[in-house]
Amino acid sequence: MENRSKWSVKDVVTTVLLSLMLIVVQFVINMFGMVNNFVSMVLSVGITCLICAPIYFLLVRRVRKRFVSLVYMTLLGLVFLVMGNWYLLPYFMVVGVICEIILWKNGSYDNAKRITVAWTVYSALYIGVNVIPLWVFWDTFENFAASSGMNPEYVQSYISYYSNTGWLIFIFIFTTACGLIGSLIASKMMSRHFEKAGML
Amino acid sequence: MHTVHTHDFAILVKLWVVFCTMSCVFLAGDAHFTWTITIMSFFYIVVQCKWKDLLGFVLFYSLTSLLLILIRRYGFRMLIFSEFHVLVFWLMTSIFIVSWDLITSPPGSVSAFLSRIRAPAGVILGVLVIFRFFPTMKAEFRGLLESMHNRGLMSVRQILLHPVAIIEYILMPMLMRCLQMADQLSVSAISRGIEAPGVRSSYYATGMRLRDYACIATYIAFVSAFLIIGGFR
Repeated sequence: MENRSKWSVKDVVTTVLLSLMLIVVQFVINMFGMVNNFVSMVLSVGITCLICAPIYFLLVRRVRKRFVSLVYMTLLGLVFLVMGNWYLLPYFMVVGVICEIILWKNGSYDNAKRITVAWTVYSALYIGVNVIPLWVFWDTFENFAASSGMNPEYVQSYISYYSNTGWLIFIFIFTTACGLIGSLIASKMMSRHFEKAGML
Repeated sequence: MHTVHTHDFAILVKLWVVFCTMSCVFLAGDAHFTWTITIMSFFYIVVQCKWKDLLGFVLFYSLTSLLLILIRRYGFRMLIFSEFHVLVFWLMTSIFIVSWDLITSPPGSVSAFLSRIRAPAGVILGVLVIFRFFPTMKAEFRGLLESMHNRGLMSVRQILLHPVAIIEYILMPMLMRCLQMADQLSVSAISRGIEAPGVRSSYYATGMRLRDYACIATYIAFVSAFLIIGGFR
């Protein structure tokens, strides 16, 4: 029943802090993933989902309130909005609603399997960050790429990876698998570190 | 600990400047023309007499400009940062400057402003946490790296041989610290009456002065000229 109660000050602070932590880690990984186009476009999304899984688990298990996933994903969407990718705000809000539906049942916040499903679904849908600009908003993206002086080689690699069905399937499977593995590791980390320390 | 600058603009002005700067950067017809808004942002910092911030951002902008020239003219390549990153940092320097000025404002004046416009307590709290996140985490991260360095965990050999362990050594203490900070911040917020009804006030909130109105008018004129001359994307 705990997840039906009102949000406290501590819940708001924890949600914002850990959501920002998630967003910062995602951006740092993406930045280091820019070593080359393959790592950046194929692997970095999966690596992000792998490393961020413990933070998401901690967020959900610590706050234990409905809409925590939605708040995090809305904040992520707002960051993309500020960076000019406005279309990712509604996208991440929809992803947040899907995660909320998965975690809606009472007791979900103690159920590692449900949180694993939520994060794995999020990971599978996270590739939308790269795919949506190409599929739905190509003109907007192309204009941005051209006006910001983006390297044409980079744009060409982007198209080759994200318009090839084989690569798309590989990226989808890799990212989803990373999200799943990250969730399994996160689940163990929660009991090994945070439960032992009495923080959950 | 915040230094109270008497030259600080009001929060409303700072928000307006952030909005105007973002509009210029994201709507500019020619992205390279954004150097003008960066210069404008330097003046904005100068007017507030924030010399330390000015020095840091001038160095940052000079470095990204130099890298951009080296990349474009001499084909310079780096291991981590791509040309795209350097360009994005160069383009967004003005946003970094005005955002940093906003987020380093005294929390009291931010909460007083939000309270005046009747923002819900949850929103006020969330915004304050966002504003304090980066300066606080920067200090925490620096402490963590020093601690790891003292234990010999930051050697290149260690990082290359045990990357997963290094991630865990960084991630776990940071998360633990985040939770402790959440507890401390929530206790602090409650003891300062965040849940109390009524409009909050602040010692730092000075209200709108003539210089604030002048800043708003200057930015309106600048953005209009920028978009009319430079064109829209």
